[in-house]
Amino acid sequence: MSENVKVDPITLEIIRGALQSCAREMDSVIERTAMSAFIREKKDYFSGITDRDARMLFTMHDRAGPGMIEAIFEQYPIDTMRPGDVYWLNDCYQTKGAISHSPDMCFAVPVFVEGGIVAFSLCFGHYWDIGGARPGTLSPSNTDVFQEGIVVPPVRIIDQGKLNADLYKTVMRNSRFPDLFEGDTRAMMAASKLGQARLLELFDRFGKSTVEQAFAELLERSERAVVQSISRRIRPGRYTFSDWVDNDCVSDKPVRIQLDAEFTKDGVTLIDCTSSDDQVRGPINALLHPDIARMVFSSVLAWQDDSVMQNEGAWRPVGAVRLRSGSIFQPVRPAALGLRAHVMYRFVNSVLGLVAQASDGQTPAGSSDNVILMFRSLDATTGKYFLCTDGLGSGQGARPFADGTDAVYPLRGQKNHPIEFMEIEFPLRIERYAVHEDSGGPGCYRGGTGVLRDFRVLAEEVTVATRMNGLKFQMCWGVKGGLAGRSGGFVVNPGLPTERKVPGFADEIKLRRDDVLRAITTGGGGYGDALDRDLRAVQADVLDGYVSVDGARADYGVVLISESLDIDLAATERERATQRTQRAELPLFDRGKGFAELEKGRV
Amino acid sequence: MARVDYAIAVDTGGTFTDVTLANLVSGELWQVKMPTTPDDQSRGFADGVRRVLEKAGISASVVNGVFHGTTVATNAILERKGARLGMLTTAGCRHVLHIGRQNVPKDAHMLTWVKPEQLVLPRWIMEVTERLSPDGGVVRDLDEEECRRALRKLGKAKIEALVICFLHAYANSDHERRAGALAAAELSGVPVSSSHVVLPVFREYERMMATTVNAYVQPKISNYLQHLEQRLSDLGVSAPLRIMKSNGGMYSAREATLLPIHTVLSGPAAGVIGAVLVGKAAGQTNVISIDVGGTSADICLSNRGEPAINSESEIGGMPFTVPMLGVHTIGAGGGSIAHIAANGSLLVGPQSAGAEPGPACYGRGGREPTVTDAHLVMGRIPAEIAAGEVRLDPALAARAIEEYVACPLGLSLVEAAAGIVEILDNNMAAAIRAVSVERGYDPREFALVVGGGAGALHGCRLGELLGIPQIIVPAAAGLLSTLGLLSTDLKIDYVQTNVQRIMDCDPAKLSAGYEKLKAKATKWLYSERIPPDDRRLVLAADMRYANQGYEISVLLSESPIDDSLLPELVKRFHAEHEKLYDWSAPELSVELVGLRVSAYGRLPKLVLSKLGVVEPSAGTPSGSRPVYMGRVCGVVSTPVYYYANLRPGWVTTGPAVIEQRFSTVVILPRHKATVDAFGNILIEVPR
Repeated sequence: MSENVKVDPITLEIIRGALQSCAREMDSVIERTAMSAFIREKKDYFSGITDRDARMLFTMHDRAGPGMIEAIFEQYPIDTMRPGDVYWLNDCYQTKGAISHSPDMCFAVPVFVEGGIVAFSLCFGHYWDIGGARPGTLSPSNTDVFQEGIVVPPVRIIDQGKLNADLYKTVMRNSRFPDLFEGDTRAMMAASKLGQARLLELFDRFGKSTVEQAFAELLERSERAVVQSISRRIRPGRYTFSDWVDNDCVSDKPVRIQLDAEFTKDGVTLIDCTSSDDQVRGPINALLHPDIARMVFSSVLAWQDDSVMQNEGAWRPVGAVRLRSGSIFQPVRPAALGLRAHVMYRFVNSVLGLVAQASDGQTPAGSSDNVILMFRSLDATTGKYFLCTDGLGSGQGARPFADGTDAVYPLRGQKNHPIEFMEIEFPLRIERYAVHEDSGGPGCYRGGTGVLRDFRVLAEEVTVATRMNGLKFQMCWGVKGGLAGRSGGFVVNPGLPTERKVPGFADEIKLRRDDVLRAITTGGGGYGDALDRDLRAVQADVLDGYVSVDGARADYGVVLISESLDIDLAATERERATQRTQRAELPLFDRGKGFAELEKGRV
Repeated sequence: MARVDYAIAVDTGGTFTDVTLANLVSGELWQVKMPTTPDDQSRGFADGVRRVLEKAGISASVVNGVFHGTTVATNAILERKGARLGMLTTAGCRHVLHIGRQNVPKDAHMLTWVKPEQLVLPRWIMEVTERLSPDGGVVRDLDEEECRRALRKLGKAKIEALVICFLHAYANSDHERRAGALAAAELSGVPVSSSHVVLPVFREYERMMATTVNAYVQPKISNYLQHLEQRLSDLGVSAPLRIMKSNGGMYSAREATLLPIHTVLSGPAAGVIGAVLVGKAAGQTNVISIDVGGTSADICLSNRGEPAINSESEIGGMPFTVPMLGVHTIGAGGGSIAHIAANGSLLVGPQSAGAEPGPACYGRGGREPTVTDAHLVMGRIPAEIAAGEVRLDPALAARAIEEYVACPLGLSLVEAAAGIVEILDNNMAAAIRAVSVERGYDPREFALVVGGGAGALHGCRLGELLGIPQIIVPAAAGLLSTLGLLSTDLKIDYVQTNVQRIMDCDPAKLSAGYEKLKAKATKWLYSERIPPDDRRLVLAADMRYANQGYEISVLLSESPIDDSLLPELVKRFHAEHEKLYDWSAPELSVELVGLRVSAYGRLPKLVLSKLGVVEPSAGTPSGSRPVYMGRVCGVVSTPVYYYANLRPGWVTTGPAVIEQRFSTVVILPRHKATVDAFGNILIEVPR
């Protein structure tokens, strides 16, 4: 048979390009037509292509893809699928965490060639509201998965071209925003069908055996590239890293995660998550699909090689994942999962921490979780909800070659709400939108700065939910002498007699007309010795408002002359010399304030 | 007696300055091609104009129009060589530009991406006390004293241009105007760009960015245009100078000085308009144009003679929200470098060998193989190009491809060369799909106009890959842009943000909104001295489903704005959405986001003249050479024709090669090529 004949490199490249543009086109339909702000502005969606055996072939996403099709197979064996079928699901527990919280509604379409399935096109988007305890479905105060909206197990929503309208209407009736639900669903279905059409064209052009052989080779190619990255950069050994989430949102008890990993010269033989804390009552449990864990490891290990195509081959070099039932990474149903992102961000950063140890610090410093504010109110006379979800940027960790990125959302592609958009749509006024001065972790390369945003309430009453980790400790650690980024927080009416602090994870915070809520986000960790930072770079940071005059002196040993802000060279030399003699040897990690206390408190 | 209208078109590209003098009535054309003079582009411009007048033997005084496509603004942005800027903005907004939309681009790598440097640093951005609400109401009055202090500080910093951008200025321009007046007093001679003038629509970051870019290129453009006008006047040309805008229309040099942001796509836009003209001559109003140069390919779709318009684009990593032709640019050209990535995949571009060192075969020190090297190895281009001015070395090309591609991949030399070109062709096909299939158009219903030095090498294969039935090769490469410059109208877009549910719209208010925009447009046409008969206004509404993030522009019919308008608009919106994205939902509510009025002022236009009577002829080839003609045929002995010897009606079936002065046309086996009455080569792609 011709099955093992290699595809010529030119055809292989063209098929690779076709997969990539297919995913790009799916993304474009979702972005342009979906309605939930989560999807269209914050780009919280996924699209991808798998082969017949549910192996991920391509996705632009960093931490989603594997596991969804397998869950469909359990309900609908492959030989019961028919052309024209569309499958629908959002069941976290049935997908073993492939879908990690319920608002992610997934649609999948099998692609038939010559009477058999050759591939799947699939996507999901984070819907605005699928019912549950509170508007927007997610809330820090949810304590079981049933409060987190309606659960759709794998179902055949379109059977050979025919929509199961009864089922669809029933699910949609559970949304507080049925129009958005409808628009999002149309967008998802259009995208998954578009993927199907593009794949059909691809098979038609090159023939089944060539395309399938190319799929296999593309998987092998990614595998080779990741192995290469590992063997070039990783020192084999067993490494441990731990991290924290301030609390589980419904109690004040901090939650610890710990990863133990065994790196060899060409792979990862073990990822052990079992030392992490038990599952919690609040919604930060992260049901971790083992293949998603492997996917994250693979992308961090190969972080400097951006030619690696994200597919199942890329995570082959990463071996067994050990999870403990009843733990934060393997909670038992019906544990709430809505805000699993915080534990997942700590997971990803812990992987960076492991790789930092195995590569003499050749990784970016620590970065922050996402920060989200939800403003809600209900107009009792019309029965209409207003719901504004604002995701805030934060500072990213500094790199061995550059400063950390200032003021960006920690997932690529996600955009903010413009001030003018917010003020047109919601009874709010944004009175200040700036970078958070001195928040970037000092280093030879500075951590990115967080942001500061002031919201003034223009309605009688607004209910706020908050999501921000790292108030009890400095979440964004520094590397190789770089220091941790400074934490943020929430405060109401800053500088006024009515000033009060707001917890990082809370719901049902009532704000009245004219109240101001200030959100300040953390900076990223620094990289390398801050006393080696270029003087002009420090001066520029002061001139542009990223670092204060006092910060320049305290953090970087750079003395600026007041008014002119010229560098006082002699004083700077003295200051840096003094600081050098007064400090201890620089460790690989600076965990900042609070971390040691949290670790101590655990024993 | 018919009035003789002579017009001159000058398109300044990266390498060449193309100049065409046309008798608009007879269609007679005179052309010269000059090397671009990068240090002062006005010199090449003036030399070209003088040469073309000499060639035609025409006095400068009879020229009544000069039309120009320029890249001065684009280069200033890409090379970061614009003005030293200062800005006034609303208190609390100093970092809006730096924060941007708070996003890492979707196709970038989260851990390795570095934010591009801003055109103005926060240290030169001054916050002043003032505040408006979304409806234009005054929350806090402008503090004029604070303004003056800020302006003085910027004056001391010797800024060369000033940006003024206040929140919600699209709804009320009063504060920006007052600040502008203060700036005129405090910083005399410093040009001011105000956001309510440059882009009066909501979303502060995008508006601030557009205003900043405008200010950034303003001194440079203004200086350049002054030079041009001086040089034209020295040559005795007194006709008005007009500049091609990014939206495919023209505006006066005076206006270009005030709103130079509209020139960022000036050059490519001219090419698109030229392709439309050439397409029309061949009886095609649906054309996709691809202009392939040394480093990039510009692609645009024109439906029924109207080029696509984008309201969101990107240049040099910065978002552009001013309306521009939907030109999709990819890093694919003759100089694109083929290399093998770390993971073993063969990539072509986007890195380019540029003009220096250029492709390996230029013998100027370039070692890596480029697409031009591949064409040379395949026999597709001769060893002498650019009318004999450049000699190519096939041995150097072969060595580069052997070393970097053929050996590592275990391919023969020709297989490797053909592979490089095939990958590039597929990349270009994907980009054409992006402007057609992804926008709801079927490329099989379009003709492909191939321009630029390298376009005609790729036309046939693109036709095969996309099912495009006809390829049009213009009579001369480089002509396309100047033809475009001679065949367009004055055009300006006026936009007003107005987000509301469409069924809540008051037709009377809507009508008033349009009247206001129409009044502005009419005033502009008047100031451009366009007689009433030559004025045209096109009204459109930017619409979306409530909660969507992207709008679709729906055209209004001529009928008056009344109660029947809204349901009609909604109907058309659903239909347009269905066409674009394959779904529509009549039960969902629709929003009106913006009103749009485009004003056109008709200019005298070139009518292409026929070269002669079409008489079928076969002609004899001037020679033959071995050329790679696709996987099936491989390398075959191929007849070579000189374009200069071909007459209208000449016809042949590939394999064949036609050599034009500055480009080569490859006709693949079974493709049928004809020269039409205008000298364009029409190629039928076999099914």
